[in-house]
Amino acid sequence: MVSKVPKLKAGYAAKCIRCGRLIAKNSLCDPSGILALCIAALILLVPAFSFPLISIHLLGITEGANLLQGALMMTDNAPVVSFVVLFCAVIAPTLLILTITFSSACLTFNYHPPYLPKIFKITRILIHWSMLEVYMVSLMVAIFKLMTYADLYLGSGFYFFAALLLLNMTILSNYNNHDYWERYIHG
Amino acid sequence: MDKRATAGKTGIEQGLQLCSICGNYSKQIDNPEICPVCFNDISQRKKNSLQKTWALLITSVVFIIPANLYPITYLLKNNTLYPDTIFSGILSLINSDMLGIALIVFVASIAVPIFKIAALAVIALSVQLHWNLSPKKQLWAFGFVDWIGKWSILDLFVISIMVAVFDKGHLLSVYPGIAATSFTVVVITTLFAANSFDTRLIWDAQTHE
Repeated sequence: MVSKVPKLKAGYAAKCIRCGRLIAKNSLCDPSGILALCIAALILLVPAFSFPLISIHLLGITEGANLLQGALMMTDNAPVVSFVVLFCAVIAPTLLILTITFSSACLTFNYHPPYLPKIFKITRILIHWSMLEVYMVSLMVAIFKLMTYADLYLGSGFYFFAALLLLNMTILSNYNNHDYWERYIHG
Repeated sequence: MDKRATAGKTGIEQGLQLCSICGNYSKQIDNPEICPVCFNDISQRKKNSLQKTWALLITSVVFIIPANLYPITYLLKNNTLYPDTIFSGILSLINSDMLGIALIVFVASIAVPIFKIAALAVIALSVQLHWNLSPKKQLWAFGFVDWIGKWSILDLFVISIMVAVFDKGHLLSVYPGIAATSFTVVVITTLFAANSFDTRLIWDAQTHE
């Protein structure tokens, strides 16, 4: 169904006249703002994935577990599971932030390389596969499950991960794929 | 490119098609296969949408059986192996008085996959057989499936955390079982099934009675 989209004020969204779903939005951030958020997210990515999320006191030893370990340790027993966990929790979010950073940087500095459309296309697909928020809830579930077995401490990675999650949500709610296409096409 | 579309009429009635990649519309006659703006493939509706959705749905129905019957994790404790299925894991959570967590795991690993498959099957059938169910309700159900879809991966993440924490060899370790792989297949195929369904077909089925 064709709907007419009026000129939107910043922060407003337009909905379809037939089904009421969102069809257009005018985000509060322009590409340069998103670029700033993305750079912050990129800095947080490294500690969030490599520092221990939780430390556990088990059999007399205290040991930390980070996000990458869990996925990589399953490669022998269940390669499919390992790949999906790795992809949804690490690869997709990292690539998503990288592609948004790159396309925002290109649009901010008015540099239009011919392969930019491909990057927009990849970004659109990756949005579905980035599941940081699901990982956060899983972590909560795991913490509650583990509390019955042993003493648990939140590691430093947990705080980086929480911050990354918030930034990631802010970036995604302000990123607008169609708007980037328009900016690319109309210079 | 002549850009004049009338609001309130469908794109098909006006011979227009919308590009799913860049979000611009164009006349179907000018460029039947390629979007004139971004040069990606374009079509009025997602191609073979119903067939793809059905194929993926059937795959997920096949894999949901081993996912629930076989053990999803093995706990190795003092050289003895304790298998745990999805359901027995939830029961042990209830027994240790963690009702909230048990509910989250139940919703994410049992209720959501079954609801997703059932809802998509009903929507696809009603489109195919012109049942004339309320399109708004169908779309609401689809939106819900689409939104909740990724949450069923929760159990896999929990397993990955458990595997990372319990790695003390024969004394205390956790291993993923066969059901973990089957469950992954169920989650991925239902995600793709929802993705390959074209919601506009719901309205198309209403008009062509």
